[in-house]
Amino acid sequence: MIPWALLAQVVHEPAAHEGAEKAAEGAAEHHEGIAEILMHHVVDHRYSDLYLFGVNVGPSKHLLWFGIAAAVVLLFVRLGMRSYRKGVPHGLGAALETLVLYVRDEIAEKNIGHDGHKYVPLLLSFFFFILVAALLGLTPFSSTATGNLSVTLGLAFVSFLAMQWAGISKYGVVHHFQNMIPPGLPLWLLPIMIPVELLAMFTRPFALMIRLFANMLAGHMVIASLLLLIPLMASINLAFGVGMVPISLVLALFIMMLEILVAFIQAYIFTLLTSIFIGMNAHPAH
Amino acid sequence: MPTDPKALAYLAAGIGAGMTIIGGGYGIGRLAAAAMDGIARQPNAAGDIRGAMIVAAGLIEGVTFFSLIVTILLAIK
Repeated sequence: MIPWALLAQVVHEPAAHEGAEKAAEGAAEHHEGIAEILMHHVVDHRYSDLYLFGVNVGPSKHLLWFGIAAAVVLLFVRLGMRSYRKGVPHGLGAALETLVLYVRDEIAEKNIGHDGHKYVPLLLSFFFFILVAALLGLTPFSSTATGNLSVTLGLAFVSFLAMQWAGISKYGVVHHFQNMIPPGLPLWLLPIMIPVELLAMFTRPFALMIRLFANMLAGHMVIASLLLLIPLMASINLAFGVGMVPISLVLALFIMMLEILVAFIQAYIFTLLTSIFIGMNAHPAH
Repeated sequence: MPTDPKALAYLAAGIGAGMTIIGGGYGIGRLAAAAMDGIARQPNAAGDIRGAMIVAAGLIEGVTFFSLIVTILLAIK
C-alpha cells in the first residue's frame, strides 16, 4: 500500500515539472492505466449474469476460485482418508493428520475445553478452506477467493452462528444472554455493560471478516504494485525500467514468500479466534 | 502547494499509511519484545507465549489493516 502512494506521487511528478499539456495528459492516462491494472488484479470480475430471486449469482472470478478451493480441500481430504484403510496412514494422510491433530489439540481442546471436539469439524473446515484459498491465490492466473469481502462475510457469519450456538445450545436463549453480564456486577453499571456486550457480540465476527479480507488483499496489492514499478520506471527512462527489473522481482518474490507464511497464520488466527470466542460463550465467567 | 483535492487525498493517504505503520509497528514491536523477554525467562512456556503472542499480533494487525483500507480508499476514490 505504501508503494502505491509512492507510485501515484512519482507518476504525478513529470506532469508537474514539464508543465506541457501533452505530458500531463500522458501521465494522467498512464496513471489511470496503473490504477486500473492494480484494481483489475484484486477486484472480482463477473463472467456472465445469472439472476436468481433478483440477486446476480452469475459465475465470477472469485466464485470460480472459491469453488476450486473447496473442491481441492474435499479432494485432498478424501485422498488423505484413503491411506487410513491400511491402518497406519502414510503420505498425504499423515501430512493432513499433523494439521488436523494440531487444530484439535492445540486450538479446539485448549480454548473450548472438554466439549471442544464438537466444534473440530467446523474449525477444520475454516482452517483448510482459508489456507487452501490463500495458497491457490498465489499460483499464476488465479485469484484469492478470501480477498473478497462477501466471502469473508460468509465465513464470519458462520463463525458468528457457531459462537451463539455454543452458548444457546448449552444454556438456553435467556440464560445465554444473561451470561454475557458477569455475576456480581453493580446494578448501575448495567446500562453501560449491556450495550458494550451487545456491541462486542457483533464486532468479534466483524473483526474476523475485515482481518482476513485485508490480509489477503494487502499482499496481492503489494506484489502487484512492486511489479508495476517496472513500467512506471520505464515510462521515465528505459534504463531505469531495466534497472528496476531485478529489484522488483526480488522484492515481489520476498513478499510472495511472506504470503505463504501469511496464508498459514491467517488460517490459524481465524480458527483460533473463532474457537476462543466459542469458548467464551460456552464457559462464561461464573 | 497543491490545492487540488485529489492531490490532497493522495497526500492524506500517504501520511495516513505511514502513521498506521508507525502505530502497528510500535504495537507489534512492544509485543514481540515482551514475548521474547518472557521466553528468555521461562523457556518451557515458549509454546504458550507464542500462541498468545500470535493472537495479540492478529488483533493489532486487524486494526492496522482497517485503517490501511481507509487510506487506500482515499487514494483510489
